[in-house]
Amino acid sequence: MTNDLPISLLIAAFTGALMLLIPHISPRRYFFAITVPSGFRASDAGRTSLRRYYAAVVCSVVITVVVVIRLDQWWGQLLPVVAMLAPAVLAMMAFLFERSHMAQVAPPADRVREAELSREDDHLPRWIALVLPPFAFPLAATAWLRAHWDEIPARVPVHWDAHNVANRWADKTPRAVYGPLLFAGGMMLVMILLTLAMFYGSRRGRQRDAIVKMMVATIYFLALLLSGIGILPAAAFSPSVLMIPGIVFPVLLLVWVVKVLRDPKMPAESTPDNCWYLGSIYVNSQDPAIFVQKRIGFGYTINMGNRMAWLFMGGFAAALLGLVFTLPR
Amino acid sequence: MPPAAKIRIDLNSQVPAYRQIVDAVRVLLVDGTLPPGSDLPSVRRLAMELGIHFNTVGEAYRALAEEGWLDLHHGRGAKVIARGAQSAVSPERFQEFRVQLRNLVAQMRAAGVPLTRIAAELRAAMEGLNQ
Repeated sequence: MTNDLPISLLIAAFTGALMLLIPHISPRRYFFAITVPSGFRASDAGRTSLRRYYAAVVCSVVITVVVVIRLDQWWGQLLPVVAMLAPAVLAMMAFLFERSHMAQVAPPADRVREAELSREDDHLPRWIALVLPPFAFPLAATAWLRAHWDEIPARVPVHWDAHNVANRWADKTPRAVYGPLLFAGGMMLVMILLTLAMFYGSRRGRQRDAIVKMMVATIYFLALLLSGIGILPAAAFSPSVLMIPGIVFPVLLLVWVVKVLRDPKMPAESTPDNCWYLGSIYVNSQDPAIFVQKRIGFGYTINMGNRMAWLFMGGFAAALLGLVFTLPR
Repeated sequence: MPPAAKIRIDLNSQVPAYRQIVDAVRVLLVDGTLPPGSDLPSVRRLAMELGIHFNTVGEAYRALAEEGWLDLHHGRGAKVIARGAQSAVSPERFQEFRVQLRNLVAQMRAAGVPLTRIAAELRAAMEGLNQ
């Protein structure tokens, strides 16, 4: 038995549990990413579909466990990756099967659209200013590194392996030391721009406010995590400490998302079913929205049928690529 | 604060979306829900909210502007304006309304709506739009 086997089995079980949750962490209006009337989930057709999906997910985890145990010696370091991907892919196939089944049995959705004739909510809410305080984290970290410059060793770690052991170092230069913090600031700036684009490029409503709040919380998380990584060269703590916010934040986010999705007042956008591919890719050239509410999970996805969306994605990719160059090599 | 005026359109309807927008907004203009000075959302914003093409909303706004209800500002949406006194409707136009009304009543009768109900609905609509 290799060292990776127990963690791989844990990953397979965790991925399976997550896949079981997927139909429940979507807006109530959608069931397997298809628009359904309220109460459809509790109907016989809905429950049968859900049971079939659960059975498929459990089978996918069992198959993965058997494969991982039998091929333990062969896969080496790829074992955890296989343990994560195999149940996810198999469960996704089951999800898509149920989706195509649902498209046939669910009653056709109405295409009634409603809009408020006001200019309210066209302006950013005041609380959006909360995106600014997190910049204090990388700034404080920069000041701290500067004050402790002499304590920084001549070679600084710039990369860690899965066991939190440094496996790559760089010479002590301003770029090597401050680069990660510059990356943190840049990343936060990109996230702010993404938040603004989401605000102005999506439909109004409570779902937009909730998603924007989620983005603001993510900026705080990134600020904390990346600033923590930034001070590692001179700080006397293990990188594994940073795994705490790395685990706590996604769990809190998941709990909050489930709470939001269970709120009966939370609206779900009315987008045509036939413009969705694989339940998660939206292509509608007639819809001016750049960002539309996802049907799996909670958040926005891009409207691939909108030319502005492609321009936006190009700019976003270029910004990320530019940021990567700030990191030490 | 009173709730914001809303319009609804049905994309499955045989009535074109721009016509549905014009009709829905006109009702709000006539019944005073949207008094002169009210700001309407920009073409881009309303199109986004309804999930329809910009041109459809643009066409609807232009039609309402031609009727004298709206003042259009490029990129800044539309403002409801005070409509001057309307000249008496021409006999030809009045005949068009009469035909439309007769068609509507005939449709309601054909769908099984009793005459008393139709009369009550017409009265309610007139009272609502006369406020």
